[in-house]
Amino acid sequence: MTGRFNGLATFVFAALILLFSGGPVLLSLYGSLVPDRVLLTEGQSLFTEGPNFETYRYVFTGQLPDSYNMESANRAMISDAARQVPQALVNSSVNALASMVLNLILGAPAAFIFARYAFPGKKVSFLYLILSPLVPAVALVTPIYILMQAMNLVGTPIGIILVHTARALPFTVLILSVFFRKIPAEIFEAALLDHCNRFQTFWRVAVPLALPSIGATGLFAFMLSYSEFMFAMLLSGSSSTRPVSVVMAALARNTDVSWSLLNTAIFIAIVPTLILVVLVWRFVVEGLLSGAVKG
Amino acid sequence: MWTINRYPGFWLLPALLPVILMTVYPIGHALWTSLHEVMILFPGEPFVGLRNYERVMSGSYFGVALRNSLVFTLIAAPSVVIIGTLMALFLQRRFLGSQVVRSVVLLPWVLPGAISAVLWVWVFHPSFGFLNGLMLDLGLISSPIGWLTNPRTALGAVIVAHVWTQIPFAVVLMMAALSAINGEVLEAAVIDARSPFQRFRYIVWPEIKSMVVVLLVYNALTAFTSYDIVYAMTGGGPGTATTLLSFQIWRESFSMYDFGAGSAVAFIVVLISALLIVAITKALPSDLFAGSE
Repeated sequence: MTGRFNGLATFVFAALILLFSGGPVLLSLYGSLVPDRVLLTEGQSLFTEGPNFETYRYVFTGQLPDSYNMESANRAMISDAARQVPQALVNSSVNALASMVLNLILGAPAAFIFARYAFPGKKVSFLYLILSPLVPAVALVTPIYILMQAMNLVGTPIGIILVHTARALPFTVLILSVFFRKIPAEIFEAALLDHCNRFQTFWRVAVPLALPSIGATGLFAFMLSYSEFMFAMLLSGSSSTRPVSVVMAALARNTDVSWSLLNTAIFIAIVPTLILVVLVWRFVVEGLLSGAVKG
Repeated sequence: MWTINRYPGFWLLPALLPVILMTVYPIGHALWTSLHEVMILFPGEPFVGLRNYERVMSGSYFGVALRNSLVFTLIAAPSVVIIGTLMALFLQRRFLGSQVVRSVVLLPWVLPGAISAVLWVWVFHPSFGFLNGLMLDLGLISSPIGWLTNPRTALGAVIVAHVWTQIPFAVVLMMAALSAINGEVLEAAVIDARSPFQRFRYIVWPEIKSMVVVLLVYNALTAFTSYDIVYAMTGGGPGTATTLLSFQIWRESFSMYDFGAGSAVAFIVVLISALLIVAITKALPSDLFAGSE
């Protein structure tokens, strides 16, 4: 689109972005591959000691790392919570996927109507949606717990999914309506001439055209649920339904726990979402950049 | 825009009902609590009017927590939007490895707050932190700095970590907004507008303005009510250097068991958030809200 771009500047910007966005995660990978003593000893590093996968082995099989089986080792540094990470990953993924799908199914029609039509009560409905997230989650913890208890949903994934869906929905509708508004009006007029009814216009014209944007919005709903902590903690019951944000918070607040084990848990927790994000992201970005929303 | 004469409930209620369920009763309950004396230790919940509000506002922590939250929001929200927009503008270009960079940008997004907090605690760690190591090697400092334990740097450090977690979302939405700009307009702009800055100011900016407003509002809200990452990194310390208003809600409610006071702080937060939103939408008028009338 533009002419020439300074190659060096591109390289510098790209390197800065990589360092800023990816640096801390690389540090965590590094930390997971070396025992604590290497971190704390001057002159020792991954490159002098070689990678060490004992903490990974512990998380998946429960076999203790060799260095903690020694007489003087501090057993408290190995926390059982790390062993909950694989199950927690599954729990979080299920919750987040459900919340994402619900958000798109429930939110897209509303966003379409807001973007394309004038109707009585529009302003009130829209204002209600965009103002409701104003109230901080901390303030609503107690009443929402009471509400969930009344519906018998405490300790079940459904409770968490419901809360996450409701908390993401206003943003889903807002973002999607911005995207639907970008579709040129001529396209909808053409659909009208072809005798599409409102639902057909939505389903066969608007949705396919905005698919990459819908993907991006779905990803947003997924992430909101995946990383949400407060309600996840409040509403998850036993360790078998606990999502990853709760397990990781327990690990992170435990100051005794070994850095190596903590970083291993972090890295294992990153991988599955990373795969999902790369897949969805490629679809979203390629779709967006090839101009699917253009007229 | 077409007109429908009756309320399209079939289209709207699926989205509105879950939100209403999760807001009407909880907000009503919180508002009621903020006007009553609700303490676990004392039976009875007498109506006290605005006394909870007076009490928390004259409390010793309130002023400093309000100041910290405002500084946090006023630095974090614009930083996220500006850095996110710059990254999105840059990532539109294709170059060797651009796909990799586009994926790596998303990394902070996939991490729950607690994990991001641990990563940044490590970056800022005084004895084996990356930042201190780098600055020592470059000769910028002579002894390690305890970024998170020094009252003068702690707030800045948690802002960096918060901004880091919020940037990917801004980049995604901004890239989407940028790519929706008509290519022919841009080509014409290359001929008409002389400098890249002019092109941005007159061609790109009007197109992405509503998205900037959405992002600013969203980020002002997230920053002003942010809780988990700051709590996991510093717990509000050292002293009160990173104590935010959102901690006050939690502290009053769940440490002091004074739910009335906790809810009062929450509604002060709501009020200030609303003022922030009005300020943003007034400063950057866009068709976003006008279009809904």
